[in-house]
Amino acid sequence: MKGLTTLILLCVSTISYATEQAEEIFKQLAPSLYQIRLIDIASGEKSSIGSGFQISSDGLIATNYHVISGYARHPNKYTIEILDHQGKKAPLTLQSVDVINDLALVKRVANSEMPFFEIAQSVPHKGEELYSLGNPHDLGMIVVPGTYNGLKKESFNDRIHFTGSVNSGMSGGPVVNKRSEVVGINVATSGNQIGFLVPQDKLLNLYERYKVSEPENIKAQMAQQLADNQDKLITTLLNSEWQMRPLGEGLIPVVNIPFIRCWGESNADKADAIVLAVVANCSLDENTYISNDFFTGSIEMEYRYMQAKELSDTKFYQIFERQLNQVMPGNKAGKEDVSEFKCQHDIVTPSNQAITNKSVFCTRAYKDFPKLFDVLYIAISVDKGDKALLSHFTIAGVSQNSALNFTEKFMESISWK
Amino acid sequence: MEIIIEEITRAHKLIARHKFMQSNVNIGRGYNNDIIMADPHICAQHLNLSFNGEHWVLNDKGSVNGSFYEDGFSKTKSAINEHIVHSGQVFVIGKSLVRIVFPEHPVPESVSFSPFESLLTLTRHPIVLTLSIMLFASVTGWLFNLHNPVEVNFTQLLVPAIGMTLLFSLWPAGVALVSHLTKHDARFWGQLSICFVFYNLMWLSDFIENIVSFNASSQSMLGVTAALLPIVLAFCLFWLNCHIGFHMSNQRRTVIASCMTFLLFGGSFLIKLSKKPEFSIQPAFNSTLLAPSYLFTGSINVQGFIENSKALFNDAQEAAKKEKQ
Repeated sequence: MKGLTTLILLCVSTISYATEQAEEIFKQLAPSLYQIRLIDIASGEKSSIGSGFQISSDGLIATNYHVISGYARHPNKYTIEILDHQGKKAPLTLQSVDVINDLALVKRVANSEMPFFEIAQSVPHKGEELYSLGNPHDLGMIVVPGTYNGLKKESFNDRIHFTGSVNSGMSGGPVVNKRSEVVGINVATSGNQIGFLVPQDKLLNLYERYKVSEPENIKAQMAQQLADNQDKLITTLLNSEWQMRPLGEGLIPVVNIPFIRCWGESNADKADAIVLAVVANCSLDENTYISNDFFTGSIEMEYRYMQAKELSDTKFYQIFERQLNQVMPGNKAGKEDVSEFKCQHDIVTPSNQAITNKSVFCTRAYKDFPKLFDVLYIAISVDKGDKALLSHFTIAGVSQNSALNFTEKFMESISWK
Repeated sequence: MEIIIEEITRAHKLIARHKFMQSNVNIGRGYNNDIIMADPHICAQHLNLSFNGEHWVLNDKGSVNGSFYEDGFSKTKSAINEHIVHSGQVFVIGKSLVRIVFPEHPVPESVSFSPFESLLTLTRHPIVLTLSIMLFASVTGWLFNLHNPVEVNFTQLLVPAIGMTLLFSLWPAGVALVSHLTKHDARFWGQLSICFVFYNLMWLSDFIENIVSFNASSQSMLGVTAALLPIVLAFCLFWLNCHIGFHMSNQRRTVIASCMTFLLFGGSFLIKLSKKPEFSIQPAFNSTLLAPSYLFTGSINVQGFIENSKALFNDAQEAAKKEKQ
C-alpha cells in the first residue's frame, strides 16, 4: 500500500512538473505564435483557421500549406491574416510553399526586430518529451505535451509519429523540445493520441531555399514540386523488387516496399455465391492535398481473381463487364482541376505470352499544373472460359513518361500461373 | 348514258361506288333519291345531275347548306348552279364528298405483286409466326438472365419474356389500327409477323455489334460501322410496315420510313445527350466483354499498346487547355 501511494505521488509530481514546464514554454513562446485565418473577401468572415509560428525576426511565419490552400488556389477570393496572442490582427502575404510536405511560408510586415522560434538542428531521440502548440477549434492557444516516436515507417515522405492529441485548428503549429526549438510542425491526426508532424528539416530546407531565391509564381512552384515528387516515387517503385504472388490461379505483382501496403478479401465463406471472388489491393497510404476537393499523389493497384461456379461463360463475362463499368479514378478532383478522361482499349498479350487481356488506358490532364496527369488502367483477361483475372491501377499527378514506364512494367508482370 | 358516282371521305378514300344507266340522277337524304345520303347536313332533295345531250349538268335544289365544287384552279369552293361536270371532279354536299367519273376516265396502271408479298406470305404462316415470336421471347428471357447478377429460375424468366413480347406486339397492333382507321386493310397478322422477324434480326445485329466492339480496338472504325446496322434494320421495318398497311407511292414510303427512323434514333440520341452530365469524373470507354470463344482477333503487344496510349496525353492536355480558357 505504501509503495502504491508513493508511486501515485510520484506520477502526480511528474505530471505537475510537466505541466509547469509546458506553462513555462508557452509563456515564453506565445508572442511568436499566431492563429492564421483565411478571410473570405465577399462575406468578410473567416472561412478556415490554423496555427502558425514566426521563424525569423523580419516577420516570416511558417504554417501548413493546407491552412492557406484556399488563398494559394484562389488569391482573388480570400485574404490571409494573423491574430496574435494580444488579439491584434495583421495582413499576410504568401511567400513560398512545399505542397508535398504541406508547408507554407507567409510574411507579415515587421517594423522592428521580432521574437521568433529557433529551428532545431538535430532530430529528437525516441521517447523524448515534446510540446505541441496550436489553437484547436478556435478555442485559444494551448500546449499539448507528448512523445516523439520516430518517423512513420510506411510513408514515402517522412512524417514524425507523435503520441499526443493534435486537433484540427492546431495545423501549422510548432512542436518544440524542452529547449524551445522547433522539431516538427503539426499536420495530421489519426485518432486518439496519434498525431503526425512534418519533420523540422523539411521546414529548414524550404527556408534555406527561400533565402536563396523567392519563388516568382506559387502555381509553377507547386507544379514543379508535384512533378519532382511523383517522378521520384515512380522511379523508386520501378527500381524496387516486384514480387510475383499467386491470386487464385493468377500471378500478380506486389511491390516490396514498406510505404505500399496491401490488403486482401474474398467471398470464399459464401457458399451460395455464383462466383468465387478474391481481391487484393495495394496502395500508397498518403496523398498530397491541393485543395478540399482535389487530392493527388496517390497510387493504388487492385487485382481480382474470379472463378465461375456452375455458370455459363457468357454470363460470367457479363458480370465482369459490369465491374469494368464501375471503374473510378483513385483521387478526388473536379471540373476546375482536371479535364475529362481520354481512353483507348485493345486486346493485349504481354511478352510472356501467358495471358491475353482486354486492356483500357485512360488519362486526364491537370488544368493548373501543365504536364501532370492522372492515369487509370484496367484490364480483364479474356483467355479462360470460367476464370478471369482483373488488374487495375491508378496514379495521380504523374508525368507522361513515368506513367507509361509504370504501365509497361505493370502490364508485363501480370500472368497466369 | 352511263355515269359513276363515288362517295368518298375527306381524305378521298372510297366509301361507296354507284353506277347509273340513266340520264337523270338525284342525290339527297330523302328516300326517293337515287343516292340516299345519311349526312344530316344534306337536305332531303339536295342535288340533281342530268345529261342535257352534250354535258352532264349539276344543279343544287336550293339546299340549306349548299353544294360546292373544289375549284382546282383558284383553290376555292364555288357554289354549284348549272355546273358542267368534268370527269373526276369532287363535290362537297353538306359535310360529305362525292366524286363524279365518266366511264372512259383513265385508271392508274396496275401494280404488280411486289416481291415482299411472297416474303409476307411466308412469315405469316402460323408456324413461322409462332416460331419467330417464341424466338423473340426466349432471347428476351435469356438476356434478362444474363443481365441479372444472381441466378434466375425459369418461372422468373417467364414474366419479363412474356411481358416484353406483349409490349413489342403493341407496335404492329398500333400500325394495323392506324391503317384500319385510314380505310386501309388492317392486316394485323401481316404486321405482327414482319415485326417479329425484324425484332429478331435486331437481336442478331445487337449480337454482331457486341462481337465487333469486343474484338475491335479503339483505333479501329469497325465498331462505328457495326452501329449503323440497327439503323438500316429499323428503316427496313418501317418501310415494310408502310408497304403492308398503306397504299402509297414508293417515294412517299421512303420519306415516311426515313422520318420515323430519324425520329427513333434522333430521339434516343437527344435523350442520351440531355442526360449526359456537363463533366464526368468517370472514364468513358467501350466496356463490351464477351466470353473468350467470341474473341476472333489477334492481340497486340505491350509496346504497341503503350505507343497508342501516348496520343491520349496530348489530347487530354489540349482538352484541359481549352476548358481552362
